[in-house]
Amino acid sequence: MRQYAFFLGCIAPNRYPGCEAAAIKTSEKLGIELLPLKGASCCPAPGAFGSIDLNVWYALAARNIVLAEEMNMDITLICNGCYKSIWEVNHILKNNDELRDGVNEVLAEADMEFKGSIDVWHLIELYYDEKICGVEKVRASVTHPLSGTRIAPHYGCHLLKPAKERHFGDSENPMWFEELIDALGAESVQYRNKMQCCGAGGGVRGFDLTHALDITNEKMINIQEVGADALTEFCPFCQLQYDRGQVEIQEKFGQAYNLPVLHYNELLGLAQGMTPQELALDLHAVDCTPFLEKIL
Amino acid sequence: MAKVKDYGNAELEEKLSDTSYYTDDSNPQFLEDVKKISRTAANMCFQCGTCTGSCPSAPRSSYRIRLFMRRAVLGLEKEALNDPDLWLCTTCYSCTDRCPRDLAPTDVIMAMRNLAFKQDIVPRNFLKTVQLIYKTGHGVPNNDVNRAARVKLGLPADPPTTHSYPEFIPGIQKIMDFYKMKDTADRILAEESK
Repeated sequence: MRQYAFFLGCIAPNRYPGCEAAAIKTSEKLGIELLPLKGASCCPAPGAFGSIDLNVWYALAARNIVLAEEMNMDITLICNGCYKSIWEVNHILKNNDELRDGVNEVLAEADMEFKGSIDVWHLIELYYDEKICGVEKVRASVTHPLSGTRIAPHYGCHLLKPAKERHFGDSENPMWFEELIDALGAESVQYRNKMQCCGAGGGVRGFDLTHALDITNEKMINIQEVGADALTEFCPFCQLQYDRGQVEIQEKFGQAYNLPVLHYNELLGLAQGMTPQELALDLHAVDCTPFLEKIL
Repeated sequence: MAKVKDYGNAELEEKLSDTSYYTDDSNPQFLEDVKKISRTAANMCFQCGTCTGSCPSAPRSSYRIRLFMRRAVLGLEKEALNDPDLWLCTTCYSCTDRCPRDLAPTDVIMAMRNLAFKQDIVPRNFLKTVQLIYKTGHGVPNNDVNRAARVKLGLPADPPTTHSYPEFIPGIQKIMDFYKMKDTADRILAEESK
């Protein structure tokens, strides 16, 4: 069993707790144990905080990293926004002495020091990594295959981009997430402009909701075009934008899609036999019943 | 021995040495600040427009990332920071991935937002997030509906974050106070409510 400090972020534990519960239970079946990262905070939100003062963003993200350094354990997380803050700040501070010294000066206020002794991983990359888990192991853990369902993938932005600073290869048309979806017995589907942003990031959801929803709406049109039963992602903020966003789109633009939106860990949970109740799918704004009827 | 080349005219020399063609409206320091904060060589932009063509915000607004890149190069600080379009970037980094000069236009936008904040130019939703994190450690804090749902899932009502361990919040506050971020947010919001 590999152990990781589980960085929760905000939206997963405080809006979609099913993602948190599913991540812990499904990972256990894949040989990955997620331990609580006690005292962690918001990552902090790269759009909201990075936009107004990058120095505070570096320092608060570094505080979360130091908590894991003190546990002597790598961090894993289930949100692209958190990945940008935690992975990127860890990466920047390990490679930029000037910024690290500046951050450590601030962290001293809280009796902490960034050492650069751990790594940060998105849980989805651990699943895909043959050395740690791999697609076949995911497939072998499935007891309730999602057969007969067509699922649209959403990669989100901050895991893969900017590609030159990441390690996921092509960000124009990646296909690795589809392998993980197909491993659950479902059929992944391709749609126009798959890699487009959900619209929520950079503080735009808070600043101009209609603008953000218009971007989301374009994604929904493109997904509807190919007839998917559900949309899946590995970012609770994208999930919030697609899930609650569909209700908001209906109110503002009068268009209804009723497309269930599930985090990959929620899908994996269903495929491993977790019930909708164990995943708190009733907290989703868009009713997941039509999708569940296909698989249960 | 190489001869120093010149036009023998001080006024002309000075004009030609201004390779960035600054005008009366421009602040050369603006470009330098943007470059430092963004950690990208914004002055290398040759205005091809690949960034705007890749931008999900461009088709539905007047936001043009290429325009902001030009404003950086020309030092047009006021024009850049006063434009509300500055806040329509979703930070998706598509422009950054496609830039043929290997620049990071997204980070240029982030740098300009940082500089705008220093002049109190900031959408109010950002300030409310600051206040929430200062108080709770979370930008999106827990609530009663969610607590009940967590308990049903067999999770603790509050996650093992600052919500369960509030003794970590003073450390967060000290970090934010170091940069006077909470004070600035409070002051701007208070001035507004007067």
